Amino acid sequence: MYKYIFIRLINAIIVVCGVSLLVFVLTRTIGNPVDVMLPIEASIAERVKLTHQLGLDKPFLIQLWAYFSGVAQGDFGLSWWQRQPALTVALERLPATFLLLVTSFLLAFTLAVPLGVLAAIKPKSLLDKICSTGSLLGVCLPNFWLGLMLIIVFAVKLGWFYTSGYGTWRHLVLPAVTLSVLPLGRITQMVRSAMLDQLQQQYIVTARSKGLAEWVVVVRHALKNAGVTIVTISGWELGRMMAGYTVVIEVVFGWPGLGQLVVESINQQDFPLLQALTFVIASIISLLNLVIDLTYPFFDPRIKYD
Amino acid sequence: MRKFTVVTLFLMFVLSVGLILSGCGGSVSDKQVDKNSKVQEQQETPQQKTRDTVRIAIPSEPSTMDVQYPDDGNMRAVTENVAEGLLAMDGQSLKPIPALATEVTPTNETTWRIKLRQGVKFHNGSPFNADDVVFSVRRQISDELNSDIRGYWESFDAIEKISDEEVQITTKGADPNFKVRLTLLKIMNKEWVEANPDQVPLQLIGTGPYKLTEWKRGQSITIEANENYWGPQPAVKTAIYRFIEEDATRAQALKAGEIDVATNMLPEYVSDLPKVKTVDGLEFSLLRLNAIKGVMKDVRLRQAASYAVDKRALAEALYQGYATVAQGQVFKPGYIGYNPDLAPYPYDPEKAKELMAEAGYNGEKLEFVGERGRWLKDGEQIEAIAQMLRAVGFNVEVKMLSFQQWLRVLFDRERSPDMIFTFHSNDIFDADRTFGTYVYTKGPGSSYPDTLDAKIESARKEMDLEKRSQLYREIGQAIYDDPAWISLINIQDIYGMHDYVEYEPRQDMRLAVYEMKLK
Repeated sequence: MYKYIFIRLINAIIVVCGVSLLVFVLTRTIGNPVDVMLPIEASIAERVKLTHQLGLDKPFLIQLWAYFSGVAQGDFGLSWWQRQPALTVALERLPATFLLLVTSFLLAFTLAVPLGVLAAIKPKSLLDKICSTGSLLGVCLPNFWLGLMLIIVFAVKLGWFYTSGYGTWRHLVLPAVTLSVLPLGRITQMVRSAMLDQLQQQYIVTARSKGLAEWVVVVRHALKNAGVTIVTISGWELGRMMAGYTVVIEVVFGWPGLGQLVVESINQQDFPLLQALTFVIASIISLLNLVIDLTYPFFDPRIKYD
Repeated sequence: MRKFTVVTLFLMFVLSVGLILSGCGGSVSDKQVDKNSKVQEQQETPQQKTRDTVRIAIPSEPSTMDVQYPDDGNMRAVTENVAEGLLAMDGQSLKPIPALATEVTPTNETTWRIKLRQGVKFHNGSPFNADDVVFSVRRQISDELNSDIRGYWESFDAIEKISDEEVQITTKGADPNFKVRLTLLKIMNKEWVEANPDQVPLQLIGTGPYKLTEWKRGQSITIEANENYWGPQPAVKTAIYRFIEEDATRAQALKAGEIDVATNMLPEYVSDLPKVKTVDGLEFSLLRLNAIKGVMKDVRLRQAASYAVDKRALAEALYQGYATVAQGQVFKPGYIGYNPDLAPYPYDPEKAKELMAEAGYNGEKLEFVGERGRWLKDGEQIEAIAQMLRAVGFNVEVKMLSFQQWLRVLFDRERSPDMIFTFHSNDIFDADRTFGTYVYTKGPGSSYPDTLDAKIESARKEMDLEKRSQLYREIGQAIYDDPAWISLINIQDIYGMHDYVEYEPRQDMRLAVYEMKLK
């Protein structure tokens, strides 16, 4: 078990390094931060000076070496745009993103599991149809549009919540609801199909013929066996929320999290900050994957990590 | 710099549909006001009762409080109220006026004597004197700081302290723009900066009408009136800035009464906002034409293109009238070098066709380079202009590039395309910045022959304002008759606000809280 975790952590480090390398190569081949940082009317001499100052005139491999040797010492350099240590800038945005992410995810997960199970128990019933249509709608709705609609109705017209910002629970409601819609739809669909799968198995027939109560059959047997699938897809969704959906939601709601920072740092071509953000997000997702894998034995004792 | 995304465009479409559906389009009704007060009651601070605080939403968080480092309009929205220069800019006439300096006088072509205002204190209580000025100027132009904006002071050579009340700056040759450059250079507190180097990006100790009291990273910045200010006390006691990147959300936050002023509003939102104030902005769009090689080298074709583009239609259709047709130049009245005798090329397709026939244009392909998403509706402008050029018979091929690639093309004189679309903003309100960039053959973005180089160089050294303006008017006329570019339109800045806010937007795009009043 510990050996497995150790190996997985080594793997995670390799993955994070790989992602960092990829971002490093991409940013330096595609972008030119000097052009973004200086006014268009700046002279050629000014451009040369800034290029030199940012170290962008050094050979690529030297730049790469400088970056990785810095990271090895926990130093991601100064953000060009904010003039602050890049890692600090990235980490101070983490709590806001976590708050939003965890709230949304819990909302989505606690709703999705019962809905999916109910839909699977009575396939083709009215409830099933509502769930399937609803979850499809959730997956298909562009979330920035939904966010703006919620703002217009609940913040501007009704005045219940705030349009944007951060600080109280009333700031959190609209972005959290908007962010949860997509994973809610997807997890519901997955729970439903995994449960349908399990409920057709032989052991369910056995369990029922033993005279077990229906809820015991469904929850203790079927749901537990569907657990691996559900947890996997939920973890996957959580990762996607972290690295994708939050970006749009945070921009729409002016939520001061990582996602908004990603957009800004791309706009500003702030390489050190972009690297730090990539590192943070890739590390979290790698750890998340590990945690999910470690839960498998709980659902399926045949899985052992020895 | 306006950031603009496809997402936002789509949003606007959807939003307008949504607004119609939910029936809250049109002007503000009494119901609206009632609703605002309902929101107000629920807020922790009852703004409407005291009315000495203004809440402002800007598109993005300032990058740093190191006022000498970045080229960042979001930072300036805050720091213009906190830090001051030796001179300030009159927001309507665009002329330098005294600030921390009471007199700025040239003793010869390259030396300036500067008398400092006495009795001024920084926000931390330490007195302002010549040492702070010497320190700030040196820091601003130093290699160590290597600021993004140091190009403004390329001409500065050295600064010396004459006495506690006086300093002297020497320039590397005549610099007619010296005073304007001083308005951009903010004075910092020497002792404080030296003692707290780590705090410089996070805190700003200035001499201005407001002091920076709080910066909740990612959330808000608060500035409060400085009771020891040397000038008149501002009417607004406190300003709270919030950062809302999404334009649509910023407009909704204003409607919901969560903020009092929203900057950078879009023409589409105007009818839906409580009150708007507009002013001609600094951004002019222009279509640079290749006068050195290729098909467009023929002056008649460049004139034909100038007649073929209907600038008024661009302003009316794309910006719903919130843009002004450029007056045959990319300057506003008040800029040094503005030529009052110029007028836009009239929209005259017949004349264009005549000139094309005269030049023997025969459907040769013209490369038209553009980009999308950097400025408000740049892509739409490009498409419309290309269509207008095709309508008179030009064979135009539009190449949309990413901003980075587009910049490379813009700066590459050797491989200039036949036409390239850009926006231009002149931050020192002086023609040299424009001509030095897009006409002068040694400038970064020129595709024009060297016929005007001598004039640009002599204007650079000309200290007599009248003579200099005359030179620029001549250059302006020359590149109008033998076009270097088509001057298109000037976009207006739109500020959304509530009825109780009184503010006249400035010509220089600065957000001056000290000029606001609350009813």
